[in-house]
Amino acid sequence: MAYYSTSQFKNGLKLMLDGNPCSIISNEIRKPGKGQASNKVKFKDLITGKTLEKTFKSGESLEGADVMELDMQYLYNDGNEWNFMDPNTFDQFTINDSNMDDVRGYLVEQDMCVVTLWNNNPISVTPPNHVLLEVVDTDPGLKGDTAGTGGKPATMNTGVVVQVPLFIGIGEKVKVDTRTNEYAGRT
Amino acid sequence: MRQALIKKAKLLEKIRAFFDYQNVLEVQTPHLLSHPTTDVYIDSIGMSVNRDIQQQSKFLHTSPELEMKKLLSQGSGDIFQICQVFRDNEQGSQNFNEFTLLEYYRLNFDHHQLMDDVAELVKSLGVKGEVVKLSYTQAFIQFAGIDILNTDFDVLKLIAKAHDLSTDFEWIEDLQIFLFTALCEPELTQFPICFIYDYPAVQSALSKVEGRIAHRFELYLSGVEVANGYDELQDAQAYRQIFNRENDKRQQLNKTVMSPDADFLIQLEKPLPQCSGVAIGIERLITSID
Repeated sequence: MAYYSTSQFKNGLKLMLDGNPCSIISNEIRKPGKGQASNKVKFKDLITGKTLEKTFKSGESLEGADVMELDMQYLYNDGNEWNFMDPNTFDQFTINDSNMDDVRGYLVEQDMCVVTLWNNNPISVTPPNHVLLEVVDTDPGLKGDTAGTGGKPATMNTGVVVQVPLFIGIGEKVKVDTRTNEYAGRT
Repeated sequence: MRQALIKKAKLLEKIRAFFDYQNVLEVQTPHLLSHPTTDVYIDSIGMSVNRDIQQQSKFLHTSPELEMKKLLSQGSGDIFQICQVFRDNEQGSQNFNEFTLLEYYRLNFDHHQLMDDVAELVKSLGVKGEVVKLSYTQAFIQFAGIDILNTDFDVLKLIAKAHDLSTDFEWIEDLQIFLFTALCEPELTQFPICFIYDYPAVQSALSKVEGRIAHRFELYLSGVEVANGYDELQDAQAYRQIFNRENDKRQQLNKTVMSPDADFLIQLEKPLPQCSGVAIGIERLITSID
């Protein structure tokens, strides 16, 4: 894999840091009044999702990470593994259930999502910004409430709980913003 | 847009009032010089002029320091200058190829008196908050647990390694500066106005050295370095030594060796009066003012 010097650092560049693939969030050059420049770099660890900050001497190099983001279709899960397919090659990929914590509630079978591959192994899944989910449990609706002044919790068919307007009932399909876990309208 | 222009104009007006009140004289020195800076990590922007007459190399000044010191050695008294300066190989949200510098010199001041004066100045310009003064040694102990004056190069490399930081440095001062940036500077964001003073002698730059300590300071406003000040070296011999040392370092780093300004060294055969001087980045200062 190629090495990248601090002068080539840019947002989104994928690099290896402490053995994990990371993506650059920001790169700030720090030049003291007297002395050599350094780079303060913020990374997102693509495995743990954590944000890291590290100072580099200007000119230092890091190894690039073989990371690809591919559009894939979510097929099914068997409780232990989640299965995805690249619609171009029909290659199938599986991700362990334990790595699905943040996204499990937003994946609907047959939906397209973005799967991040590191050395050709899937490490994370990004669902679409909006998904259609079905309400499977919520308190009875209140007549006349159309503006969504209050709100109530509703459990979706994927297990995720979303705050919805009072007029939404069981069996209805609602649009959910996966970035904020917020109700985004009826279909 | 106009708001920002007004803010800068008002700031410059207040700076001039501050110095006028203290009888510090505004000066202008040449921006186009025959000699580039010898500073190892600052690069002059060079150009070719008079191509149709007799071609010459010229350099935009990176700081008005040496030109102002020529005036001081000739008896100018207290002086200040507000000017654009130019540096090559600078980029980022805080670093630019061109920026505005306020540079001023006060006769018979040591660096502590100058810090007090700089504190008065920035407060008069609207920077709010308590003034905190920390020696370089204190800062390293407090924020990184390192006894910086008593830690040699090899041990410092081990410490850097333990922090998973680069150890690829030619000189101890570069590693000290790097560790300060990595370990101490993030902690300085908690102080609205913070002076760091008394640097290790190896980082003396153009300041006086007393024992193991160089009499210089930097000012951080909420973690952003905005000023760099010295109790100034006075005689030509001291400057000659510094220029030679910088050029030795340039040579080791395969950078161009820069011939120092001979006029400056000749003029300083009549030494500078005892004085302290400071350079303040105006754009960075403005961002600290509401």
